[in-house]
Amino acid sequence: MKYVTTIDGKEYQIEIVDEHHVRVGDRLLAVNFESVSGQPVYSLILDGKSFESYVSPGDEDWQVLLRGHLFQVKVEDEREKRLKAAAGGGLAEGGEFQLRAPMPGLVVSISVIEGQEIKKGQVMVILESMKMQNELKAPRDGKVDRIRVKAGESVEQKQTLLSLH
Amino acid sequence: MFKKVLVANRGEIAVRILRACRELGLETVAVFSEADRNALHVRYADEAYLLGPAPSRESYLRMDKILDIAKRAGADAIHPGYGFLAEREDFAAKCAELKIAFIGPKPSSIAAMGDKAEARATVIKAGVPVVPGTEDVGNMTDDDLLGVAPTIGFPLLIKATAGGGGKGMREVRSLEEMPALLQSARREAESAFGDGNVYLEKLVEGARHIEFQIMADSLGNVIHLGERECSIQRRHQKLVEEAPSPFLDDELREKMGNVAVKAAQAVDYINAGTIEFLVDKDRNFYFLEMNTRLQVEHPVTELVTGIDIVAEQLRIARGRPLSYAQGQVRFNGHAIECRVNAEDPFNNFIPSTGRITHSILPTGPGIRVDTGVYPGFEITPYYDPMIAKLIVWGETRAQAILRMRRALEEYRIVGVRTNIPFHQTLMDSHRFMGGQFDTRFVEERFSMEGASEQSDEQVEIAAILATLVAHKETERAAQIVRGNERDASNWKWVGRWERMHR
Repeated sequence: MKYVTTIDGKEYQIEIVDEHHVRVGDRLLAVNFESVSGQPVYSLILDGKSFESYVSPGDEDWQVLLRGHLFQVKVEDEREKRLKAAAGGGLAEGGEFQLRAPMPGLVVSISVIEGQEIKKGQVMVILESMKMQNELKAPRDGKVDRIRVKAGESVEQKQTLLSLH
Repeated sequence: MFKKVLVANRGEIAVRILRACRELGLETVAVFSEADRNALHVRYADEAYLLGPAPSRESYLRMDKILDIAKRAGADAIHPGYGFLAEREDFAAKCAELKIAFIGPKPSSIAAMGDKAEARATVIKAGVPVVPGTEDVGNMTDDDLLGVAPTIGFPLLIKATAGGGGKGMREVRSLEEMPALLQSARREAESAFGDGNVYLEKLVEGARHIEFQIMADSLGNVIHLGERECSIQRRHQKLVEEAPSPFLDDELREKMGNVAVKAAQAVDYINAGTIEFLVDKDRNFYFLEMNTRLQVEHPVTELVTGIDIVAEQLRIARGRPLSYAQGQVRFNGHAIECRVNAEDPFNNFIPSTGRITHSILPTGPGIRVDTGVYPGFEITPYYDPMIAKLIVWGETRAQAILRMRRALEEYRIVGVRTNIPFHQTLMDSHRFMGGQFDTRFVEERFSMEGASEQSDEQVEIAAILATLVAHKETERAAQIVRGNERDASNWKWVGRWERMHR
């Protein structure tokens, strides 16, 4: 199976040859790969070199924490990627964005109103958890669509707080 | 002399205190909230009693319930740890009324150091230098403050009299901008503390936060155990502490140590306490405040002095003399502590909650881990995010840093995000290695990305890891619908699989 894997705009052609080999570009490498006691911690021995890392799924990519550094990695099936490119796609910018609570907590304040135009990085909601106040910011420019919570309300993790248009 | 100690706290510090009691053969009583039934301190204590619901004000802050439990369990001493009731003079006073030994200072010392104005006035009288500022703290009008400001000099700080945690604090660069800043500071202080009083203090630029550990017994002996460097902070929260400070030499250490002892004597201090100083670039030092309790970062002092501070606290509370005279306190090597918090350093340090599913603690030479969590334990949003303290000792500062790097890489916690990658980046930073930092270092000159660029090999390894995991996931998903090797039909298999995951 062939994959195209992207980190910071750099593409790697990686082929899973069989259980014990991968091909990166044109180099064939011996692989010994195990998850540590069924956890999202992985031990990799690659041509004799040993690595350990956390790998967890993000929203649209994989997050790899290796030696204190976090990599955002996109892994695509090569065929799928080709088909997508042929369909002339490219992801549509915009669409709706749902701001979800990253942790359970108490809504301290909402600093935007419905219909307001906002800039990327602007603080939208302040959420208190573990005795600390956290500013939740806009990931991009947009217009506030619907606000679903009120100041003083307790929210669960992943609960939608508001949506952006 | 007491025989049974109630620990009025939770988390790693409760465990730390229970361990000292165990070693000394004292019986122990734990208290816990509904969220902490499975916490380590409950499991380690001889007895454990439920306090109430998870929020602190209904559990760990309920003096009445804690004192009731002490009576019921026959505990004749209470250790408050840090936070919660540790610096409440009324709690210490109630313990005294009930003839329960409070393992800490007298109520009058807590009161004297708890009020910023009184603390300042008291130590000034004892000849301790303070940051220049308004002497008549409290109830000053804006006109008074504007009149005094030029005599203190700019830049200066507006601070809330009842303040803490940076609330109601404003930095002022000139007289022109001061009226507006006074108003906003008062407004913020009023809403945070219900008290809009403010005072002025000279802003010490490029300041380091260096504190001295004090031990005092009831016979009048007061000693210091040297300093801790605590300048690595974020939003006024300490993240890394070390002893000794790379900034002090023996001469300055002795001078500041003597001043710290004087400050403690000025309030008839008994038991363990900490005098915090600001130190500027020119080695001028100023009294900031006194913490009348055991500190989070006490282990770094324990590692360089070899003195068990909690055991000494228990000894002092039993009315015995200190085990050491000042001349017997020796400093050996270097210790560093990293506070491991359940927060995501790649996402603006947002707190992370959840169940810890897997954890491997670093061990080996020179490593100590103080923690209250274990695999299976749930990190809730009710309490502070510190889940462990990783402390290392080395013969030199360089060895301690190398050891800390090694230990951070070994430490595995799965289930919640932690700030371990922050500490790894910090330990690799040249400024930290060179000891060149002040209290604003993390916020102004540090970035998780700005650190050393990753090698090509490292990036490629990350790419391979992600691909292997993604491939595994795809295969697993495919197996669920394929299944030609199974004896049961796919529908039966899916049913079993679903039941299993219910």
